[in-house]
Formats: sequence, structure tokens, C-alpha cells
Amino acid sequence: MTGPAARLAAIATACLAVMGAVPALAADTVKIGILWPLTGNAAAAGQASKAAAEVAADIVNDAHPDLGNLPLAKTAGLPNMGGARLELVFVDHQGSPSVAQQQALRLITQEKVDVLFGAYQSSCSFTATAVAERQGIPFMVGESAAANITGRGFKWVFRGTPIASDYAATYMRFFDDMKKRGKTIGSIAVVNENTDYGTSVADAIEAAAKKNGIPVAIRIPYSASSTDVSAQVLQLKEKQPDVVIFISYTADAILYIKTMRNLEYMPPMVIGDDTGFSDPSFIPAVADIAQGVMNRSAWDIGKPGSATYLINEMYKKKTSRDLDDTSARNMQSFFALADALNRAGAKDPEKIRVALSQTDLKPDQLMMGYEGVKFDSTGQNVLAATYLIQLHGKKYDLVWPDRAAEAQLQWPMKGWK
Amino acid sequence: MKTGTLVLAVALLAYPFVLYDHFYWDIGVGLLLAAISASAWNIVGGYAGQVSVGHAMFFGIGAYVPLLVFNLWQLPPIAGAPLAVALSLVLAVVIGLPTFRLRGHYFSMATIAVAELIRIFIGTWDFVGAAIGLQGPAVGRGWWDLTFRSELPYYYIFLVVLAVLLYVTRAVEKSRFGYYLRAIKAGERAARSLGVPVQQTKLKALLLSAVFTSIAGSLYSIKTGFIDPESGFGILISVQMVIVAALGGAGTLYGPLVGALILVPAQTATNTWFGGGGSGLTYILYGGIILVLARFEPGGLHELWQRLAPRLRRTPRAA
Amino acid sequence: MWGSKDNAGANAMLLLQVIVGGLLLGAIYALFSSGLTLIWGMMNFINFAHGEFVMLGMYVALLVVTWLAGGPATFGVAAAFALFVLGVVVYLSLVRHVMRGPMLAQILSTFGLALLLRYTAFWIFSANFVSLPQTSLSGTVNLGGILMPVAQLVAGLVAVSLTVALHLLLTRTAVGSRLLAVAEDRNAAMLMGIRPDRMQALAWGLSAASAGIAGALMATAYPWSPSVGETFGLTAFVVVALGGFGSVPGALYAGLIIGLIQALSAYWFGPIYKDIVVYGLFAALLWLRPQGLMGKA
Repeated sequence: MTGPAARLAAIATACLAVMGAVPALAADTVKIGILWPLTGNAAAAGQASKAAAEVAADIVNDAHPDLGNLPLAKTAGLPNMGGARLELVFVDHQGSPSVAQQQALRLITQEKVDVLFGAYQSSCSFTATAVAERQGIPFMVGESAAANITGRGFKWVFRGTPIASDYAATYMRFFDDMKKRGKTIGSIAVVNENTDYGTSVADAIEAAAKKNGIPVAIRIPYSASSTDVSAQVLQLKEKQPDVVIFISYTADAILYIKTMRNLEYMPPMVIGDDTGFSDPSFIPAVADIAQGVMNRSAWDIGKPGSATYLINEMYKKKTSRDLDDTSARNMQSFFALADALNRAGAKDPEKIRVALSQTDLKPDQLMMGYEGVKFDSTGQNVLAATYLIQLHGKKYDLVWPDRAAEAQLQWPMKGWK
Repeated sequence: MKTGTLVLAVALLAYPFVLYDHFYWDIGVGLLLAAISASAWNIVGGYAGQVSVGHAMFFGIGAYVPLLVFNLWQLPPIAGAPLAVALSLVLAVVIGLPTFRLRGHYFSMATIAVAELIRIFIGTWDFVGAAIGLQGPAVGRGWWDLTFRSELPYYYIFLVVLAVLLYVTRAVEKSRFGYYLRAIKAGERAARSLGVPVQQTKLKALLLSAVFTSIAGSLYSIKTGFIDPESGFGILISVQMVIVAALGGAGTLYGPLVGALILVPAQTATNTWFGGGGSGLTYILYGGIILVLARFEPGGLHELWQRLAPRLRRTPRAA
Repeated sequence: MWGSKDNAGANAMLLLQVIVGGLLLGAIYALFSSGLTLIWGMMNFINFAHGEFVMLGMYVALLVVTWLAGGPATFGVAAAFALFVLGVVVYLSLVRHVMRGPMLAQILSTFGLALLLRYTAFWIFSANFVSLPQTSLSGTVNLGGILMPVAQLVAGLVAVSLTVALHLLLTRTAVGSRLLAVAEDRNAAMLMGIRPDRMQALAWGLSAASAGIAGALMATAYPWSPSVGETFGLTAFVVVALGGFGSVPGALYAGLIIGLIQALSAYWFGPIYKDIVVYGLFAALLWLRPQGLMGKA
């Protein structure tokens, strides 16, 4: 018995097991404090990223010669620090900026962590990075959307993931490419959930579309907790855009697809902006009616035997789900952080900061489809990029850019037909 | 009671030196903030018995305006606090006049609705940062920005505000105004027949409450350096004020402070111990504690204390 | 903004589609709100955990479908039964003890209960989103140009019938009159040989069961996670206040009206304004007519 059954049984026997193992104290460890929303509305993403970080730490701590050029995989621990192991300290910031601030402080002053990592919601990244900056501890932002998390003049903050403007630029290059192939992209529609993530990405897309002379037929911000989206789908039906871009969380992404099916509306192409469309719940729920839906992802499971495939297997063993793009980007940022820790050679914050700023990972050292990891003076990774993938059957295939593509792009999408 | 007050004051003043560490200071700051907010709520929710579940509207205004004046005109955030108080007063009048016609649950529901309305509206308004929110100065340009590296200055600033608030509340308790409030709580119709100007008194209580709730919000955003719709106007902000006050004893001077003294460390401790496990145990415990207290001590810890105190005093004498 | 005249016919159809969709969702609002209004009216008690009852109904449906491969009828009944039991247990162990205490203790107790239920579900089922596998209710029917998902259509009709049934139970049966007698005057009812505790436990059972069925019906169309209850809880408050505290027919009308307003304002002004319209209307209504549409003045 696994999953709900096992846990229900646990309740039935009324054993309130106290979770959370006590971390063993060892001299040769590097402590990484990790802040994520493990409860609240974003808990699903936080929990998935937690599992991803645990897998990443295993890869660094144990020898994994089968993982190719991935830094620190071949060896056990951090070689430049005498094989020091990574120790993860997780905290739950509950999606609250003030709890994030307080727990960041605890990680630094009580747990004496050497570096910080997190924090998913932009609001929590804002406040937690400010603590790190004040205390002089390096902070790697794994994945947060708001543009100005970097660029506030902070010395100690780095971000490994691409940001909203990168995604917008990718979509524009893709549209250019499609036009060259003779597809019509007369206008697009942007449908975004209205918190920091959806707003940041939608703003960037709207600005980029304007610059590239692609009319935005309609922009629809909505609340991700909506229980009914038929009005929005009907608005889309009325405007007839050639491409609809959804910036959505999980429940709403599934609901949009189901509602489009119910109302028999299918544009030539739907592009989901990662997140909800990458959630492992998405495919089982709507695969049969969403054939050809495109999605943004820098993560690709790859062929059996490849490093990415093996990483996915490790993750699957832990969670019984495939690794999703959001968690994978967090994992990549984690590897970049581990690489810098190793190059720093000591647990000195300043040395770690300098090592981070000198990071220069090449594409073959990455698990993601970035062109590298290299931070500019604000701490933003300038080589981060993304692929576009398309739902074929029960899985996404990489279809764009051509140099990386592993399957033929289908345009228009088939949907439920 | 005099000695009790003195002991409490000394304990609060000495706390940062007993637990000399940034994290404990930060918990202290959080505790004082919860005590200030709940004490402010207590004036209208406790003494007057008008249970508002929408006080986040004043807290949010207090939190937004300081960061707004910083972002618009690069003023020190604290300069926005008086403006926030003024806005909160206006809102209190606009909200108070019509809603005070409602009683009991109706009043509670109306306050929830108004607070939610404001939260959703702020989330769509680009001028105040919409869903993304507003940031304060990343690094202080001078002491007047009140952006300190250490939590210690915040602790004492918050403590002073709490002391002023408790002093004011004490003065209210002893005044005719305080007597009116208790009369209204006991029964509006009876109060009216005794010649209590019910509407006027309720409104005055709401105004006073709004002033301090707004100040609490300003303190929060200046200290945190960030505000967004959820952390300013979210329903949990309102509910937290109600819980802290009710737990300690609503309508008593020290009730909210006692509630904060118990609840805030409990929240932090459960999150610190169990949060990282990610099982949601923090909230199972938190919900369970609230539920059990409400079930067995409906009058709050204040009542429990009043039952226990005489016995405790008797014991030494008997010995 | 409605385009040329050629589109007038198409626009009328779109509008009709929006209206029907709004009413069907409103019917489900009506069902779970009728449960809330029942205990609110009967006992002057606010239940902040009502949304969590809806959430639990959704998970019961999921368990029945995945473990027993049950169809919609099975999981609907299972959800109703499971939640009925929970409602009675909550009444006997908690509500009975705080209902005559201060209002603050009532708010605290059900708020604590809401957190407890939400995060127990979180612990058991994890934070991941789930949705029901395809059931016999999948598919769409075309009614004169209006496209109706079968699941929503069935859910809406079942919800309306059950709400009406609850009303009839209260007004036309002996049990119902005993329930109302307790609501009216607890002491007088006791003198007449009615045991108020039993009746109030029954009311809590019925209230939770209505939320449970509504949850099971929602689950056929809507993916969810343990935090879904919050949205439903707030919606139920608005519906109850609009319909009048304690009035089941009021909840029915108000549920339909709220569903309709949400759909129309989402269509005309954009979805982010639909909650602004609903809450604005709610606040205005509380001032103008605090007893609600159907409540007694």
C-alpha cells in the first residue's frame, strides 16, 4: 500500500508520527539552507522542488560516474573541500514574505548555513535575499519570476533560471521562425493568472510582441482559483487569435483545456507557459483532448541512458512522478551553486561569492537546455534559455529550436480530434 | 496587578539581552507586532464587542503608503505613516457609518467583504505595484529610512508603540468612553436606553482602532521592506488579529499581549521544528491548538488565569 | 464593442452560453450554501470550515472512484454519507460545547477546525493537484447551439433538485418541523418532547452532507488540491448573506444569481473583476438589506 492508502492507515492507527529527521552533525559538511513554500497554495511546487534538491544533493554527495559531464557527479562530495558533503536544511516559509525573512535569519544565525537557496514566490525571494545581503551570505535564487529580484545592487544574490523577458524573447523568435515557414500569426492572445508570476510573464510578452509588431488581440488576467472559465474561453472564441499563450497554474490550466473542449474552441496553437502545463497532474488529466499543445521547458528527459534520463529515474524513484521543468530549473541552479562551492574551496562566504560570480558552465555540463551558466554583474544568469515542447500522445517532445528538436512540430494542433 | 505590569515591562525590556541573537530578536519583533495589531483590534473587537474580521484593510493601508511614498518620491518610508493614518481614518468613517447598523455576524461578514474587495482591487492596480507589490529601500540611505541591519532597533521601536497603545487603552478603560463601550458590548438596546450614544461611541472606537492598526501596518512594511496584496490585505492578517486577541482574552488590557506571547513563539517553533518536513504538521498542530482552546477555554486564557490565580495565591499561604 | 450586425446572432448565442454556464455553476453554489445557511439560520453559528467540507467531499469521490471504481451515483452517495457522519461528529464533539459561548470562541473553533481538516487532507493526499478520471459523465451535448458539458449539466440539475429536496424536508416533514421548532425556540421545543441536541446534530449532518455532495459534483469537472476549500467557503458566505440567513430557497436564488453575475462580469469586464463585482454587490446589499433577499426583517 502506498500513497493515500498508507497514510489513511497511519491515521487509523492514530500514530501521529513526528516527521523530520534530526540531521547528523559531521565536521566535513557544507550546509545549504533551503526556503520553499511547503504548505499553502504553492505547496505542490515547493514539495516537488524539495525532492529535486534532495536528488541533486545525492548526486553531488555520492559518486555517479554515469552522469556524464555534470559537475561533481563523478566524485563523492566536494573534492576541493576534501570530499565535504552537502547537508540540506529545509524550511517552510508558507508563502509569507515575513516568515521567509525570519526563517532566512534563522538559517544564517542558528543553523549557521554557508549558503541560502530558494524561495519560489517572488515576494518571499525579495525579503529572504535582503536578509542574505545584510548578513553577507550568498543566496542562489532557484526560480522566481519577478525581474527586479536581481538588479537591486545586491552583491550576494544570484539567479540561475531564465526570467520573464527571456521567455518572451523565446516566443518571439519562435513566431518569427513559424512565419518564415509560412504559418499565419496575425495576432496572439495572452491569458495570465494575476499573481506575480503570471503578471510578470504576461507583461514581458506584451512588451515583446509590441516591439516585434505582433498584435495582441486580447489579454485576459484572471484569478487562478476560478472555478469556471467559460466566459474567458468564449472571449477567445470571439477574438479568433492564431496563438493563445496561457500563463497558468495547475488547476486553472486543466480547467481551461477542459472548457475549450466543452465549448469546442480550438485556436491553431496553444502555448502553455510552463508551470501548470508542466505539472505532472496535467497530462493524465487532459492528454487526450490537448494533443499538440505546446509548452515552454528547458528540461527534457532525453533518451534512455542519457544523464537527464538517469536523473529523472532517480527523481521518479523518490516521488513516483516525472521531474517537471520548475523543479528541474531549481535543480540546475542547485548544481551551479554546488559547483561554485567546490571552486571556492573553503566555507568562506566571500570566497563562495567570488566563485559564484566566476561561474562558467558549458552546455554539456548542464542538465537543462541552457547555453550555459554565467552571471552578469547583477547576478542574473545571462546564458539561460528555454526549449519549446509539444504534447504528443502521453508525453511532451522537444520540437523547437530545430538544432535540439527530437520530433516534428505539428501546426496546427490537433486537440481532441 | 501593579507588580505584574512591572515584571512584564522588565521582561520585555530585557528580552533581547537574555536571548542575544538576531533570530530571537526577530521573533520578538514579530511578537510585538502581533500584540500591537491585536491590541488595536481589541479596542473595537474586544471592548466594544464588534467582531471585525476585516481589520487587514487598515493594516494594509498602513503597510502600503510608506513604501508608496518611497517609490514615488524617494521619501523615507516613515513619512508615509501619518498619511496612512489619515487614509485609514477616512476609510473607517466610510466603512463604519453604514456597517455599524449591522450586528453580530452581519458586521463580521461585511468587514470581510470590504477587506477582500480592497485586496482584489489593489492586486489589479498598477500604480501600487498590482500583484507584484512594492519594495522599500534595499539599503538604508540614512537612519531616517529605518532600514537597519539589526533587528534590535525595530524591537525597541515596536515596544514603545505597544507601550503607548496599552497606555491609551488603559486610559480608555477608565474613562466614560470605556464605560460606554462595555455597555454596548453587554447589549446595545440596554445601552441606548441608558443614554449611551451608541453609533457615535462605536465609530470613535473604530477610529482609534484604525489609527493603531494602520501604524502596525506601517511598522510591518518598514521592517520587512516589502508589501504585496496578500501580506497587506489578506484575510489571514485579519484572522490572526482576532485569534491572538481572543486567545489571550478579548476586551482585556493585556489579553492580546498574552495571546501574542503564546501564539507567536508557538507558530515559530512548530514551523521551525516541523515546517522543513513538509507534511503540513505545522498547521495541523496550529489548527488543533486553536480548536482545543476554543472548545475548553472559550473566554480565552485571561479567564483561565482569573480562575487559577486565586488558587495559586492561596497555596503559599496554606503552606 | 460587439462588432458588426452580422455577428449579432453569434453574440447572442455566446451570451446565452455564458448565462447557462453561470446558472449551472450557481446551482452548485446553491447546494453547498444551503448547508451553511441551514446551521447559520438554525443556530446563529458561522462555520468557517464549510469550504473544507466541500473539499473533503471531493476527496471522498476520488477515493471511491480509484478504489472501488464507483460511478457518479456511488461517489455522490458516499460523499454525502461520509460528510454526514463528519458533520454529526463535529457537532457532538465541538459545536455543542461552544455554540452558547462567546461569538469569538465560535469563530476560533471552526477556524481551527478548517486548518485541521485542510492540513490533514494535505498530509494524507499531498499538495498535488488531482482530478477525477473520466467518468460516464464525460462529453458534451449540443442544445440548440448551446454546448453543455454533460458533467456540468447533470451536476447543476442534481444540485437544484437536492436543494429543493432539502427545502421540502424542512417544510413538509415531521423531522423538518422538529428541526425548525428547535431553531425557533430551543426551550419550547424541549417542552414538547423534542431533543434539541439530536435535531441540531441532524442539522449539522445535513449541512455537511450537502457540502459533501456538492464537492463530489464539482470534482467531476474541476481539478483540486487540499487548499481548494478557501474559495468555496468565501463564496458560500456571500451566497448565504445574499439569500438571507437560514433560508434554503434564498440560498438557491442567491447561488444562481451569484453564478450568473460571476459569469457575466467575467465576460463583460474581464475575469479579475468578477470577484470585485460580487463582493461590491455583497457589501452594498448588506447595507441596504441586511436580512438578505429572503430573510425575515
